[in-house]
Amino acid sequence: MALEDFAAEMDRCSQCSYCKWIPFDHVKSWRFAKNCPSVSYYNFNSYSARGRYAVARSLLHGDSGVSETVRNIAFTCMTCGSCDVSCKICRYNLEPLEMVRELKFKLVEDGQGLEAHRAAIAALHTEPRSSDRSKAGRGDWANGLDVRRLPSEKTEVLFHAGCRSSFDRNVQPTARAAVQLLKEAGVEIGILGDREACCGGRVYSMGYRDEFVRLARANIAAWAEAGVKTVMTSCADGYHAFKRLYPPLGSQVEVLHTVQVLDRLIREGRLTLRSTVPMTVTYHDPCHLGRQGEPYVPWNGVEKKIKAQIVVYEPKRPRNNGAWGVYDPPRNVLRSIPGLELVEMERTREYSWCCGAGGGVREAYPEFSQWTASERIAEAKASGAQAIVSACPWCERNFIDSLAATGERMQVFDVVDLVRKAV
Amino acid sequence: MTLPRHLYKALGDIVGQANISDDPAVLDSYRYSLAHTAIHLGPYYDTFTPRGAAVLLPGTTEEVQAIVRLCNQHTIRFKASSTFWSAQGYPSEDDTLQLDMRRMDRILEIDEKNMYAVIEPGVIGATLQAEAMKAGLNAHLPGSGCSCSILATATSYFGSGPSNLYGGWQYDNLLGIEWVLPTGDLFRTGSLGSGCGWFCGEGPGPSMKGVARGFLGAKGAMGVFTQCAVKLFAWPGPPTLPVEGIVPAYRTPLPRNFRAYTVAFPTWKAWADAAYLIWETGIGYLAHRQYTMFGRDLKFAMVKILTDPTKTLGDLEEILEDPQVQRVTEESKRDFQIVLAGMTTRDVEWQEKAFDEILARTGGWKVEAMNEPEINQWMLLYLIRLGHKNLNLVFGGSYDGAFGLVGPADYGTTYAEEAAEFKKEWEKRGAVVQAGGDCMMGPIGGMGGGGTCLWENFTCFDPYDRESVDGTREFFDACTQLGLERGWGVGMEKWNAQARGPDGRTTPKAERDRIHLSSPQPSAFRYQHKIREALNPNNLGDEYYETLED
Repeated sequence: MALEDFAAEMDRCSQCSYCKWIPFDHVKSWRFAKNCPSVSYYNFNSYSARGRYAVARSLLHGDSGVSETVRNIAFTCMTCGSCDVSCKICRYNLEPLEMVRELKFKLVEDGQGLEAHRAAIAALHTEPRSSDRSKAGRGDWANGLDVRRLPSEKTEVLFHAGCRSSFDRNVQPTARAAVQLLKEAGVEIGILGDREACCGGRVYSMGYRDEFVRLARANIAAWAEAGVKTVMTSCADGYHAFKRLYPPLGSQVEVLHTVQVLDRLIREGRLTLRSTVPMTVTYHDPCHLGRQGEPYVPWNGVEKKIKAQIVVYEPKRPRNNGAWGVYDPPRNVLRSIPGLELVEMERTREYSWCCGAGGGVREAYPEFSQWTASERIAEAKASGAQAIVSACPWCERNFIDSLAATGERMQVFDVVDLVRKAV
Repeated sequence: MTLPRHLYKALGDIVGQANISDDPAVLDSYRYSLAHTAIHLGPYYDTFTPRGAAVLLPGTTEEVQAIVRLCNQHTIRFKASSTFWSAQGYPSEDDTLQLDMRRMDRILEIDEKNMYAVIEPGVIGATLQAEAMKAGLNAHLPGSGCSCSILATATSYFGSGPSNLYGGWQYDNLLGIEWVLPTGDLFRTGSLGSGCGWFCGEGPGPSMKGVARGFLGAKGAMGVFTQCAVKLFAWPGPPTLPVEGIVPAYRTPLPRNFRAYTVAFPTWKAWADAAYLIWETGIGYLAHRQYTMFGRDLKFAMVKILTDPTKTLGDLEEILEDPQVQRVTEESKRDFQIVLAGMTTRDVEWQEKAFDEILARTGGWKVEAMNEPEINQWMLLYLIRLGHKNLNLVFGGSYDGAFGLVGPADYGTTYAEEAAEFKKEWEKRGAVVQAGGDCMMGPIGGMGGGGTCLWENFTCFDPYDRESVDGTREFFDACTQLGLERGWGVGMEKWNAQARGPDGRTTPKAERDRIHLSSPQPSAFRYQHKIREALNPNNLGDEYYETLED
């Protein structure tokens, strides 16, 4: 795809502003009705999906040029996809999330990427990771764990730790706990350790499509070499990349998030939660596991019209609107923990508020990123929860950083952490 | 013209540099396509409203006053808009300052006892309704849906919607106003102006509601309304709407004191008789001919798609082949939707009994397919929250209303079929969606029993397709011609033609004068001219505030 391929959508976007709000049917209060972090923070129309359609159209038609403001408009999008869900409450022929991604790709291809991103991307040319630390020691998080090392040892199930868990000591215990829980339940898994590469998901959301393809092809080749049939991860970004972005590049492995596996193991009686965890928690749906965690359905078709002017597609185009994301498995797991009470925030499931870590925003706009996280913390507190629980180390990291910056207090967990406490 | 730097800086000093922009791309996100929805003129392919000089995001009334005063000092036009639903909210002239009122979005008060809310411009229907429901109250929402500014519908347009029946048209509901006059002075209307609070729009205090609103609302052309109070009405439901279902097929299982029906009638006369009997009996909470916006031939098939999260528009043709869908489509030709809400169980039982009697007398019936629980609960939520109104654009991305027959139930029903047949013939030419001709939607009456219905014939087209846009305009021109020939008057398709022309800019004066002189009451526009001279001496708004010189 190219930005030009969205020209029709730029005209067909009716500028209704649904993209700025959670689905209206679910509005429960004034305080937590907005959905898009960037337009909520910067306020100009331009920072919403409708505005980005207009800005992209203006660029394509040569009515305006790329300025610092334009770059900010594009790169402050976290690609969280909340606009996409709200837009598609009523529209079946717009893809605002894909359009914004394409806008980022275009800017990067034209040399208009952000310096804050370039540093991370440049490092990838020598070290296949998206963190700012060296590849050496990537597998250290698993030191002491009794887990197979691929490809020298063989197993069909790979646990992909991901960049954040590999290099962030605060969240490493979650990855270790995940591996231990899976092993205790009899799942034979292996890791790639120092040979693990970045999934490329964050690179993709920053606008670096070519880098993503390079990383994805490397991973797909490594998995094939190791005989991997199933990839498990505790990282929502990784899950999304493997589940949705890799198949068009030839990946055919089964992709599972840890919460899906834990849910299955608990239901099958292979993992029993006995210890009480007396705590009221709320679950934060990671964007890339929730609304963007839907199955990949290949499509290669064209637009056509029926009834003279109704825009449809031949063959029927899959509709990714958050309907079939991964929402219940983490909740099932949490509800299985004795003594734990799960309460919901106002914005939940497909219309969750983003943690603020996505799209390269954490790297390039730290203040905005932390504000986004602090909004979620405020919502979690309003739910009456003592702790906010997620299923992604990037969300966890951003919440921790926000709490540190604001001085607010709230416990932050991964689902895996609480399961570990309950086993 | 680029705004002189010293003026840009001065404006930035007022709102803060983060809240002003003149970046061309930002300015282009504040232009409205005249190939689009609810413009009530055109449509015109690849034509936009003019690019502004700058966009400002004021945060307080004081900031608005300072901006307006600066505009007067330097004779700069300004245009305020809150939620930007249609072309009316965008500049009509080059180099206008666009005020985006989004940051002023507080609900300042919900007075439960006196049943009103005090709001700023950025408050939308959904948030006001959600907060009001916690106090056992509800807000009237405009037909454009809950995404729109409530202040704007009350001060700046006419605010008609499904809850007209119980909640009134929004101009009825407007109480006190805080108004930054076009000169920058602050004016408080009604009881607010005499320091008595917000409770009344017409005094004690300056009875200026009519002056402030003007004909069909001020439309951002006469200063800036920074706060207002609107009436709320009783909500006999839970404090939060219980919502179930998979996106987008959300639904609400409300208690049994709520009933939602689609009813249909053997003739248009029976339809109108039922409307009169509903008003006479005093029953009903919401009433609207809503789903015909998809077209008579498509409406039930669309309901099937919208209530099934696995379906898309790509399933439409197959669904239309379903004999059950065809049967329901035929059965519900002359229909409308109604919600009964009882303040008590006895109340709703009485309303239901009365409504059944109305159906018996008129020969009407409840469309049973719409009573399937999942469809019924979806319809109930849809009508209460009005959060799916962008379905107006679902087909090709654009729609506009034709005819717009406003009058008693008999008036619209007398001509509905003729207008529908006329449209159906045009649909065959291929420029607009082939929907069955009858796409007439609108509210069933106003507050207090009786009043007007509105018959807006939705016409859907593709703004990206030049032939579709041009063909739609030809159809609208033909509608206007038919309306004049038949004595219905100029239809909704041209309602804004007196303010904005084919280039997106102000309609030339000679044409404006011709339109106003040929209107039933030209003196109304002469009166508004006097008001504008008095309150807006530098004429810094645009011609959406309609005037006619002596």
